[in-house]
Amino acid sequence: MAKIKIDSKLYDRAKKAAQSAGYSSLEEFITSIIEKEVAQIESPADDDELAAKQLRGLGYID
Amino acid sequence: MTDTSFITIVSGLPRSGTSMMMQALEAGGLEILTDNLRRRDEDNPKGYYEFEPVKKTKQDPSWVAGARGKAVKVIYSLLYDLPSEFAYRVIFMERNLEEVLASQKTMLERSKQAGADVSNEKLTEVFRLQLAKFDDWIVTQKQFRILRVNHREMITSPLAQCERINRFLDGILDLEKAATAVDPALYRKRRDNP
Repeated sequence: MAKIKIDSKLYDRAKKAAQSAGYSSLEEFITSIIEKEVAQIESPADDDELAAKQLRGLGYID
Repeated sequence: MTDTSFITIVSGLPRSGTSMMMQALEAGGLEILTDNLRRRDEDNPKGYYEFEPVKKTKQDPSWVAGARGKAVKVIYSLLYDLPSEFAYRVIFMERNLEEVLASQKTMLERSKQAGADVSNEKLTEVFRLQLAKFDDWIVTQKQFRILRVNHREMITSPLAQCERINRFLDGILDLEKAATAVDPALYRKRRDNP
């Protein structure tokens, strides 16, 4: 298992955030965040679709 | 007498001041095309000035002919669907993107609707690209003439902006009435950069 170093203050904040977000551990929380970010970078969502989703939510298009 | 040779379009990103511009045009005596289906609320206390058939222009553009001599609100992404056989004068609202996104976020939260589930940075990039693409496209379309109006300038110097708009629309507005319709109290997401 690989290890990474993060600032201890950020570690404490992340630990609290993981708890309040309902994650069972900090590892699970960080893995989830990294997976989401990596997926977005590996296959960027279509910008037109993102814009359309935002406009639809706001009620400006069907 | 109403000039029916062109259709006035108020456009821009959602929350860029399009409703404010519609209010000014209406106060200035220009006939507005709206069905008032979308009720005024906390996000747009003076009304949305929308016209529901605009959303379905691609499938049914029959409403467009009846818009000659009137003003209608059409967000930037739906301008692509307008039929090319008419002449359009587009008043395009420009506003600090940070303010736009903050206002959109408030509106989504209030209406409990989901928008694009991405970071603010990503959404800023998306809309920057959308507007760049739109700018490239509209200059190639002979049916459109466009006047860009800065949201903040419309609020801080409404008379000067209304003079520009009136020249663009061939002098059809009552300037004083149009300018006094602008309500600075509704400028609620102000950021440092215009």
